[in-house]
Amino acid sequence: MGEITASAAAARPKRDKRAVTALKARFVRHNWTLVALLFVVLLIFPLLPFVESWMVYQGSLVIVYIMAAQGVGILTGYTGLVTVGHGGFLAIGAYTAALLMKFTGLSLIPGMIAGGVMAALFGMLLGLVFLRLAGAFMAIGTLGFAFFIGSIVNNVPIFEGRTGISLPANTVFGLEIDDFGFYYVALMTLALITLFIHSLMRSGVGRAFKALRDSDKPAESSGVNRVFYRTLAFSISAFITGVAGAFNGLIVNYVSAEVYADIWYSVDLLVAAVVGGSAMLFGPFLGGFFVAMVPFFLDELADFAFILKGVVLIAVLVLAPAGIAGVVARPFRARRRRLLDETRGPAQTVEAEEVQS
Amino acid sequence: MFDQLVISGLASGSLYALTAVAVVVVFRNTRTINLAQGDFAMIGAFLALIFLKDFGLNYYVSLGLAVICCIGLGFLVERLVMRPLADSDWLTLFTATLGVYYILHGVAGWFWGRDTKAFPVTFDPTPVHVLGTIISEGHLINMAWVTGIGIVLYVFFKYTKQGIAMRAVTDDPETAELMGIPVRFIVFLTWGMAGLLAAFAGVLIAPIIYVAPEMMDEVLIKGYVAAVFGGLYSIPGAIVGALLIGVAENLAGGYLGAHYKVATAFVMIVVLLAFRPQGLFAIQRRREF
Repeated sequence: MGEITASAAAARPKRDKRAVTALKARFVRHNWTLVALLFVVLLIFPLLPFVESWMVYQGSLVIVYIMAAQGVGILTGYTGLVTVGHGGFLAIGAYTAALLMKFTGLSLIPGMIAGGVMAALFGMLLGLVFLRLAGAFMAIGTLGFAFFIGSIVNNVPIFEGRTGISLPANTVFGLEIDDFGFYYVALMTLALITLFIHSLMRSGVGRAFKALRDSDKPAESSGVNRVFYRTLAFSISAFITGVAGAFNGLIVNYVSAEVYADIWYSVDLLVAAVVGGSAMLFGPFLGGFFVAMVPFFLDELADFAFILKGVVLIAVLVLAPAGIAGVVARPFRARRRRLLDETRGPAQTVEAEEVQS
Repeated sequence: MFDQLVISGLASGSLYALTAVAVVVVFRNTRTINLAQGDFAMIGAFLALIFLKDFGLNYYVSLGLAVICCIGLGFLVERLVMRPLADSDWLTLFTATLGVYYILHGVAGWFWGRDTKAFPVTFDPTPVHVLGTIISEGHLINMAWVTGIGIVLYVFFKYTKQGIAMRAVTDDPETAELMGIPVRFIVFLTWGMAGLLAAFAGVLIAPIIYVAPEMMDEVLIKGYVAAVFGGLYSIPGAIVGALLIGVAENLAGGYLGAHYKVATAFVMIVVLLAFRPQGLFAIQRRREF
């Protein structure tokens, strides 16, 4: 009798310990921990005492780049399609929002939704037209699309070419907002988009994307509709980049072909997705920050900025093929695996990890 | 008018052909779209400019030295950047050459400045009458050069040991390796050949445009478009694609207005890919992207 109670007493703390480890394992998900941490930083950044208005403006630009890189990441990371044409969607978002604001007086938030929807329509169209392309063919096709959009905004009169369209100050629900207000609207949108991508990738749609990326023919033969999901991936990706484009235009209250006919936008967005690591929630944050800040720090030394970009790009590809986010995630993954090993034994862990990624 | 536009279109198309062929040669042996191809040519043009102006060398000697330097540059890029990444996926290879592009761009801007420079050898504008159309002598000389390079390439791929080995690597790298072909060395040579073609492209185009870090950007993209037109595996296909693009954009520029000239190549590629995703001259083959 006494022996049994003793063993029960010994067992209970042990089980408790297991439960705690399991709970810990739940929280050591690099995705949530790091992204949440970053959002806290972004949230309090404008409130710091030394921060000035122009820094907040630069912060909004970084957010816009992160958003656009998230859009690219849907294709390059999760669906395994390459795109060098997302500058085109950026332009579509920016011009849709700008023209609506000019002619109908639509404000920032409806303008940005309209920009996203318009970009998504074009994305769907492009996805359908390029349905059978992959690799090098896809790259040049999407690049051609960006050029095409660029030459349209340059030449069709309504877009006012290089003169550009000047817009009134931004308002939200009838209230005029300054750089700080704009920053928080952009940050809120970024949070919504991040949440959306996170849940999308955990849903059946996300699994279909990844299945098409990892092995398209088996995925198709087990019932994943390739036409539908590819087009959907294109539309979602274009929507997010279109929203980013609307912000990018409205932040300076001015859109012109000088900016949006430049195909280097498209290339920069691809670089952001690759450097950050696009198959991870955290990746576009790093990539977007990198691409937005390099020209800012090295404005006077444009040539050096080029060299730095190239060296970083190659270094990341050689040393960290999964992007910088992959390196950041490594200790988290290792710790999570250890914790899971403790709770369930190694056999199940492998399976759990596979479901994770 | 039409004949005239076609002839001058062929002249500019032949200059795109060198880049298009280089894109194909590298792609089919390494699965890499070399975005630095244009910058190899730009470096070649800058070096030729220096040899001509600062060292006072003869045109042909400068050209030869630029060619040698560019071959070295191709070798260097293969050794330092592409070989460590040889087993990576398609996108990694693509973005790695983008990294090389950025570096070469920055280095050129750093050493030689961003402003455009005139090439000391002037382009000969003397008009020559060919089949009822007029073409400048400079263009004719360029076309002769390009034709000559084309013939040399044909002989190389058809009759020399290295050329045949290169084609074997294109067809099936694993089997080629098993048959005793040093695949790595052939890939190394491929990058050297890209450098060689780039040097010619840069030096031939420099008198027509100018010399600056971004001089070849447009040519590179048109060369890439032309290569895709030809199906990315075929050298004759790439040449035909380049000539087609040269003619088409000249016709668009002539009849619709200069604005439309730049967009032509892209409208063409989008339409082509929508209806024939494998390019015009695709050969049935195992594709790995």
